[in-house]
Amino acid sequence: MASAVAGDVSAGASGSRPVLNRRTGPSNLVWALPPVAVLALVFLYPLALVVQQSVSPDEGGTSLAPYGDVFASASFRSALTTTVWLAVGSTVGCLVLGFVLALVIAFVPFPGGRAVARFIDVFLSFPSFLITLALLFIYGTVGMANGVWTDVTGAADGPFHFLTTPWGVLLAEITYFTPFVMRPLLAAFSQLDTAQLEVASSLGAKPARIVRQVILPEALPALAAGGSLVLVMCLNEFGIVLFTGAKGVTTLPMLVYGKAILESDYPAACVVAVVNIAISVGLYSLYRMVSRRVGA
Amino acid sequence: MLVHSRTGKWATWAVFFLLFVPLFAVPLLVIVAASFTTNWSGAFPSGPTSEHYKAATSGDSLQALTTSLITAVSASLLALTVGSWAALAAASLRRRGRRFLDGLFMLPVAVPSVVVGLAVLVAFSKPPMLLNGTRWIVILAHTILVTAFAYQSVSAAIVRLDPMYEQAAASLGARPSYVLWRIRLPLLLPALTAAAGLCFALSMGELSATMMLYPPDWTPLPVQIFAATDRGSLFTGAAVAVVLMGTTLLVLLGVARIRTRASYR
Amino acid sequence: MTGGATQGSGIRFDRVSVAYGGNIVLDRLDLTVEPGEVMALLGPSGSGKTTALRAVAGFVRPVSGRVRLGDRDVTDLPPHKRGIGMVVQQYALFPHLRVRDNVAFGLKARKVAKAEIPERVAEALELVGMAAYATRYPRELSGGQQQRVAIARALAIRPGVLLLDEPLSALDAQLRSGMLAELARLHRELPDVSILYVTHDQVEALTLADRIAVMDKARLQDCGTPQELYRRPRTEFTASFVGNANLLPVTVTGATGAVDFAGHALAVPTGEVAGGVTATLCVRPHLVGLGDGPNALTGTLAEVQWRGSTHRLYVDIHGHRIKADLRELRETPALGDKVTVHFAAEDAVLLPAGAGFGGGVHG
Repeated sequence: MASAVAGDVSAGASGSRPVLNRRTGPSNLVWALPPVAVLALVFLYPLALVVQQSVSPDEGGTSLAPYGDVFASASFRSALTTTVWLAVGSTVGCLVLGFVLALVIAFVPFPGGRAVARFIDVFLSFPSFLITLALLFIYGTVGMANGVWTDVTGAADGPFHFLTTPWGVLLAEITYFTPFVMRPLLAAFSQLDTAQLEVASSLGAKPARIVRQVILPEALPALAAGGSLVLVMCLNEFGIVLFTGAKGVTTLPMLVYGKAILESDYPAACVVAVVNIAISVGLYSLYRMVSRRVGA
Repeated sequence: MLVHSRTGKWATWAVFFLLFVPLFAVPLLVIVAASFTTNWSGAFPSGPTSEHYKAATSGDSLQALTTSLITAVSASLLALTVGSWAALAAASLRRRGRRFLDGLFMLPVAVPSVVVGLAVLVAFSKPPMLLNGTRWIVILAHTILVTAFAYQSVSAAIVRLDPMYEQAAASLGARPSYVLWRIRLPLLLPALTAAAGLCFALSMGELSATMMLYPPDWTPLPVQIFAATDRGSLFTGAAVAVVLMGTTLLVLLGVARIRTRASYR
Repeated sequence: MTGGATQGSGIRFDRVSVAYGGNIVLDRLDLTVEPGEVMALLGPSGSGKTTALRAVAGFVRPVSGRVRLGDRDVTDLPPHKRGIGMVVQQYALFPHLRVRDNVAFGLKARKVAKAEIPERVAEALELVGMAAYATRYPRELSGGQQQRVAIARALAIRPGVLLLDEPLSALDAQLRSGMLAELARLHRELPDVSILYVTHDQVEALTLADRIAVMDKARLQDCGTPQELYRRPRTEFTASFVGNANLLPVTVTGATGAVDFAGHALAVPTGEVAGGVTATLCVRPHLVGLGDGPNALTGTLAEVQWRGSTHRLYVDIHGHRIKADLRELRETPALGDKVTVHFAAEDAVLLPAGAGFGGGVHG
């Protein structure tokens, strides 16, 4: 009876969502105003100030001169390239690794698989810089790996010095962000009807073909969504880079921090910030469009 | 399901653990082990000690723990209020209004945290809203950063909420406010607690914006960890990191408890 | 499709047991499906029937026993090497592939020559009457159409054995009877293909199967042609699961052909059952008549249900409720009336208590 009533009402309601008699009148808009006002005051207004500050050089007035100065500087250009290739590299790494790991958890289940999935959720709730901290113990100049090497070979110095190079950041970012790919993938895999895999294999398909032709097409939306989210997060990552303490690895967020806090050059910091916002927000909008299009 | 032969399965699992253990399990274990160690420059740590924990639970570090807790709890509650309010308001709007609010409230996820920190610093360093140098600027920045996640979890839960319940309540003569208070919010409680846990964890680990804004008398745990490692006290840093992870986990566990109790299905 | 099909190979279960974590879900199944035969596995949920099917397909591994397809022992073969067509309850069409690509999937996986594929896809779709829908996506099809595509996909690889796992249970009643006729037609067109048909619906089993294997509690309970199982069930479970049945507790009296039911002497064929043995008497409701006659029993009318062409009467006799299906009555007796019912001796089947199915019914 209850479902019959619900069915009638929702059938009568217009729009895609079955909503009971919910008028969109002025009263609903009024309810949306307070949170929007709060957000505008504490977030949008400060962002606007950053943009304004970026076109207000210290000498006064309004000009695009700070942009010219920053774009001309070598440090900005190298930071931009470093940021982009690190983010792209990490994203690719996360996608490959996350796909493989999620595939095993979902489709070659083993006892304890649920615990592993749970562990990944916990992993997500820890801050990123912990990974770099751990890597310092493992691959740092006086860390485990180098210690073992010097003990075994008697050499004065170990071979692992990549931690303060972009490769160290890459390793840390792939480690930290892979779970962000795995989560949507595992959700997508749990939606996949396992009967499809069984039918495919009864039709003569080997595992590799099933992964390629049955699982991958179904996982593409989740991969796209997870990948673009990770890309944005890598572009914005700060903690991992800060903790490596590498002078040679400067990304855009590091540059913002350096200009503002260490050099107190606010206009330059704001210029870099605006560039960073433009890239990240642009990609994020793309991500939202993609994930809405594919319904993920 | 995918691999049927026994050897194939074992080979797959071997590959899985060869990737999984060194990449994900080892780092966390290493931090925990290092926190009990005086020296680690070989294969195994040496010189077991609990000295680092004495340092990590007293003086500055203890101060940092309370700072982090206060910041995370305040930021989570504020974010939950604003985020849920916005999510509920968005759900009652038409398609375009909803999309607009979605975009607006998810924006802080896209903007780099460092930039959020910079923006807050720029905006609240001058009268009439002079917050720079106080704890409020840190709490404010954290709130901005985690509101997006509160908004996202709550609105996802609202979409999943079966309209049947509201309809049944309305057909029984309940006013919208009564339906909200007695039907929708109780049914959303699991999502709200989950969102609270998420916000708390994120705020506990927030470093980027905090580095831009923290006043000397309000240093949260991540800053403390960075300060320790920056001056070379890696092992103390590890101990403080374990305190951070432990606290986060405890709170998440507590939240999960509440959540199971709050879910009716 | 005709002629090109792999020669019907038949299926043979040889004491096949399957266990999940120490829980036996299929217990020493012995069963042979002849080439070209339709065998229905009929039973309630949890009876092990689906497990038996999945053991043939290769998705569960028996802990003991062998599974053979024709003269091949496939027990250790991975699913993709078995060459079996399978259709499942929810169809499992690949949502990202068009109908023709779904049907072509198995052909490509089995490396059929490229030039041959379109022709075989068309042939398979023709067979199920879906040729006009080749370029549609699964989501654009109705449930019945999806079902046909799933069957075409399974048949396209020309399997010797077709496994159908509750293929009609996701369809509504009307579509179901249509598809049932369709499946019967398909089987006539593909006389060499052995079909293992898992269902919990006795009507499907009775309509379609050459033989029915009745499963319960992980075991084979009974096996025979639909007529045999319906007219001469060998166990109480078969009697109650295949068609409706009145099951009366009786004791065989000394004389041959006589049993005692709650103090009434009834004349029924007792076969070789010895005197003094307790047994169950099975009488189908539609073979029970109203009024006086042989084996008459009188009781109180407890309930009457009108079912269109028939009336069902429930008559309480000494604490036992007897069901009688009668052609629509002109005048129905009132509830509480004394009513007499009867049945012919040859319509009753005596099931000795604890009668089981001994297995060994190969072929």
